[in-house]
Amino acid sequence: MKKPLNRQHLALLAVAIALLIVGPWVLPQFAQNTLVRSCLYAVVAITVDLLWGYAGILTFGQATFFGIGAYSAGLVFTHLGFSAGTAVLALVGGIAASMAVAALVGWLSFYPGATPLYASVVSLVLPIVATQIIFSGGNFTGSSSGLSGFESFEIETSTWLWLSGGLLLLTTLAALRFVRSDVGRLLAAVRENEARCDYLGLNTSRLKMLLLVGLSGVCALAGFLYATYGMVVAPEMAGFQFGTELVIWVALGGRGTVLGPVFGTLFIDLGSAYLSGDLPFVWKLVLGVAFVFVIVVMPKGLLPALVGRFTRRTDASTAPAGKLVDAEPQPLAGLAARGRLALHVDAVAKHFGSLTVLRDVSFDARHGELLSLVGPNGAGKTTLMRCISDGRERSSGTIALNDHDIGRLPPFECVRLGIGRKFQTANVFDGLTVLDALAVARTRLDRPRMWRRSESVALPAAAMAIVRTTGLDQLLATPCRVLSHGQKQALELAMVLALEPNILLLDEPTAGLSKPERTQIGDTLVRLAAEHQMCVVLIEHDLDFVCEISSRVIVLHQGEIVLDGSVDEVVHSTLVRDIYAGAAALPHAAAERTA
Amino acid sequence: MSLLLDILSTAAILFIVSCGLLLIFGVMKIINFAHGGFLTLGGYAPLLVTQWGWSPWAGGAVAFVIGIGCGALVERFIVRPLHSRPLDAILATWGLGIVIGQLITLAFGRGVQFAASPLSGTVHLFGTEYSVYRLALIGMSLAVAAAIAGVLNGTRLGLITRAVTMNETLARGLGVNSARVRLSTFAFGAGLACLAGALITPLSSVDPNMGVPWLTNAFMLAMISGTSLLSLGVACLLLGGAQVLVSVFGSPVLGALTIVVLGALVLRIRPGGFARG
Amino acid sequence: MNTNKWTRRAVAAAASFAALQALAANPIKIGVPVGLSGANSVVAPSVVQAAELAVEEINAKGGVLGRMLELEVADDASGAAGAQKAFDSLIFQKKVNVLISMETSAARNAGLPIVTRGKTPYIYTSFYEGRSCNKYMFVNAWVPDQQVAPIVDYFMKTNKAKNFFLVGSDYAFGRGMLEFTKAYIGKKGGKVVGEEYLPMDGSDWTAVINKLKTAKPDAIITSTAGGAPNVTLTKQLRAAGITLPYGNLAVDEGTAKDMGADAEGIVISGSYLTNIDSPKNKAFMAAMQKKFGDKLKTPNDLSVPQYEAVYLYKAAVEKAGSTDAEKVVTALATVKTEGPRGTIQMNKQRHAPLTMYLGQVQKDGGIKLLETFKDVDPGAQCPNLK
Repeated sequence: MKKPLNRQHLALLAVAIALLIVGPWVLPQFAQNTLVRSCLYAVVAITVDLLWGYAGILTFGQATFFGIGAYSAGLVFTHLGFSAGTAVLALVGGIAASMAVAALVGWLSFYPGATPLYASVVSLVLPIVATQIIFSGGNFTGSSSGLSGFESFEIETSTWLWLSGGLLLLTTLAALRFVRSDVGRLLAAVRENEARCDYLGLNTSRLKMLLLVGLSGVCALAGFLYATYGMVVAPEMAGFQFGTELVIWVALGGRGTVLGPVFGTLFIDLGSAYLSGDLPFVWKLVLGVAFVFVIVVMPKGLLPALVGRFTRRTDASTAPAGKLVDAEPQPLAGLAARGRLALHVDAVAKHFGSLTVLRDVSFDARHGELLSLVGPNGAGKTTLMRCISDGRERSSGTIALNDHDIGRLPPFECVRLGIGRKFQTANVFDGLTVLDALAVARTRLDRPRMWRRSESVALPAAAMAIVRTTGLDQLLATPCRVLSHGQKQALELAMVLALEPNILLLDEPTAGLSKPERTQIGDTLVRLAAEHQMCVVLIEHDLDFVCEISSRVIVLHQGEIVLDGSVDEVVHSTLVRDIYAGAAALPHAAAERTA
Repeated sequence: MSLLLDILSTAAILFIVSCGLLLIFGVMKIINFAHGGFLTLGGYAPLLVTQWGWSPWAGGAVAFVIGIGCGALVERFIVRPLHSRPLDAILATWGLGIVIGQLITLAFGRGVQFAASPLSGTVHLFGTEYSVYRLALIGMSLAVAAAIAGVLNGTRLGLITRAVTMNETLARGLGVNSARVRLSTFAFGAGLACLAGALITPLSSVDPNMGVPWLTNAFMLAMISGTSLLSLGVACLLLGGAQVLVSVFGSPVLGALTIVVLGALVLRIRPGGFARG
Repeated sequence: MNTNKWTRRAVAAAASFAALQALAANPIKIGVPVGLSGANSVVAPSVVQAAELAVEEINAKGGVLGRMLELEVADDASGAAGAQKAFDSLIFQKKVNVLISMETSAARNAGLPIVTRGKTPYIYTSFYEGRSCNKYMFVNAWVPDQQVAPIVDYFMKTNKAKNFFLVGSDYAFGRGMLEFTKAYIGKKGGKVVGEEYLPMDGSDWTAVINKLKTAKPDAIITSTAGGAPNVTLTKQLRAAGITLPYGNLAVDEGTAKDMGADAEGIVISGSYLTNIDSPKNKAFMAAMQKKFGDKLKTPNDLSVPQYEAVYLYKAAVEKAGSTDAEKVVTALATVKTEGPRGTIQMNKQRHAPLTMYLGQVQKDGGIKLLETFKDVDPGAQCPNLK
């Protein structure tokens, strides 16, 4: 895969390398001393940007991983002396410890159903816990004083500058490459619309955790270099203040741009060193005010406004468009293989406190059926659909997909059992292009690459058909937010079909569509059931549409199934007519009255 | 016995410090990270009061008034525009806390200062000597709780505040001016924070960063209490008690961690915290 | 030929005038990294004042080798990270010729690698836990070997104390001092029934006081970071009704005075008291009062060494004939100065023998002198330094 580098970027890279080489000869000593530290801070700032600007995880805790790397050096060199062997031990140990802690934090913060606020809360607690642990270490960790006086590499400051500047350059390039890759695109999708990703079978929790663990290792490396340069480690390096400073630098520089935080950190840290001696309070005050101002008025950050082109949001949506290819027909294997019964629902109930929304719902559905769920508003249709696609939703009862009991499985695991769900309101990725959205949908089946972007997206026949007939294949490079309502609906359907499910749940697929669009969808659904042998379940209000395409209809009223039969039976049922007219009571209540 | 009094007085202090934050979190669903800054601001009020030659008891009242004024300004210009971006609201209020700290430093210098305690000495209680001021704080926290409950349950403003807490959209649909409710809540919450700052200074010292260590404990307590003052009281007793016990029988350093760690674990297991339903 | 002579004279005059200008415009810079914020912020102003007085007096008499002295003060935030920035800024940006300051052990330890890298002489003017050694550093304040014995001996003799409870701030100074104290108490036949620490910025001593009450000691000895921790601990001890004999290894007169009634009875041991009856001290106090008036911060055991250190540096530069670091370092080991504390000479392995005073804080904040110990030896602090 060859992607020509933007000429501007090449020029910028050349300038950066030139500065790095020339710097130590040209810069005054004080600036060099400060820059060694600033470059390492900037490396950590990049990790904050990747987590916050790209993955949407606001974290105050990256400082702790930096501190772990630093203390690893401090502890090993103080207690075991300094040598090539102990240096390697400290480096590897620091990175390993940091990743272990990150795994723990990730397990704690990223779980199905976690809120972003909670993740931020945990990231806030982490540096506090870390500092206190350091404090409680007495003479071993040096407590409030930290550790100092240990030996370290005997290197000139200029060499340190090449080392840390070089690390910064490498990290920046790697980060830029990463955010443009398939995985980078995936992160953007998770940030945009995590629920949709869940229902595309993506284990978003694990993705975030892996990201956190990987980046923590980078921070630990930076911390190790910091400690060996300064020959001092102190609790402040792992602490809360530093953690929040990082967020400030990223916010001011421009979150989600990689380059913005780098320039922001270097600029502010270097500026602090020169100005804070002379104007200590004023400088911090200015910084604080600027920070508040930026958050409130210019959330994208200062640098994007000032520098514009170089630091525009460098992520997937600016990459050149690719093309669609037909996917290899994959035999449905493993958990998603067709079961005897596509869908088995048994005595499912759902309560919200004392309010019962679903009561004793039971039915089976087979592959090849096109089943419509109808009923007035509030009957529980969407709730039922939610219960079928998310094992944690129902209060009681059993549901099996392709003969596998879904137990308490979260949505992404249900998708693995062969189900795909299309939401009521068109639920795509506004910030991504059509092609990107389809690529994300294919992630479960086509492994995304970490350092590259695949130029082509493979779609199975069903999805390809939708994309072609609705004309989306001409709009591959269009951002989703620009699409019309009908196009978004079609895209979402294509995305769900790209998962290659054999059970399809559709929530009001014709809402807001014009008559021709409705006919198109109707034909597609019929074909999916008949030719592709899917089990298609839809919720619909348009009863004519239901009658035209369904092979079977289930009527829900106030949480119970009142009728389950063919189209004819339902159309001619007086009970159904009464329900829709509002005159009927609950079947069991009616039974009580006559008893 | 003195252990029990320690637990009660610690819980009382935590309650006073956190109630302002809880109010704001309940109504506006954002964490006011400037809470630490308001605590500090309030902490300097007793200094001013001593400078003006007033009675030390006036410190709390002065702090409260300052808090309300500043809180109203902050809500109008910083919090309101961030209504739809709660994570950004956290950041903006954190930045604000820094700004407050710097302004205080400019005004008062960055050194540590000491305020006179309105009540000093000890009292002989159940066999041990105990600090009068700490005991008084237990009483003060109950008074503050009663005052807040009184306002929330007894006044019309309190009623519509509770409505907005439960369902803002619905309340607005019924004609409640939720913007004004948010303004008054934030101002009141800030006032409480400043009051708390003034009340805790006699126990330690006053410096531009004194509020920060309280911030994390306070917001953890607020998050696990949901929206109920009663839950907050319970949380303060339980977690505050845990903190005292760990400090005494373990080490004070680990004790300082107790609240945040327990809080994070509770939230993981029960995202709703202690709130009922 | 007359013109030539006059021209030569004019040129010579112009040249020496220019040289004088150059010298005058080439001041000797003294860097003072000190804790303007953080735990030391209570005592830092007094340290800066002492330095300012010394510089003013020396400049009034013509400076050092004809050059004026100039002070550069930087905030080290009383901690390691701040010290790195402060030292870096002073040595590499402001390019000072010497560092003279008191600071916390955390800050000092963080600054030493930078001192070595920058090859700058450094006179450390704070009492500390001892055994810190660096090629460029000299210390003119006391170490535990000089300070701890008087207090422990006094309690054992006067109060018949056998059991001691130790409280400190958890950093190098706190731990170092109490480690020495524990060993000394043991050597004298006493027992340590408790040893508790709080981090330097900790201010809630509730749990510690609780343990203290349970342990029922005969006397308390504390070694907390200067300034805030001293005050909060004392306040809270008194608020809890503790009236045991209380020896504070780390409080200065000024802070003791500020603590008011709470400080009454505290026993302190140090190398300086404001009421030392010597002509030098009286002159020093008068000069400080004249210069600062009602802004004066009470001179104390942390600020007076600063004053004397500036004079020691002057003596060293004059002996070495230049400000060259290596020459100055050699000279610092031998020069002496007569200061408010007596004759100060840093000739015992970079440390100085000092006269120590044992005192007790009175109700009015003044210090009553209990005993004097002349020329106490600092012990073997840096046996490996030449």
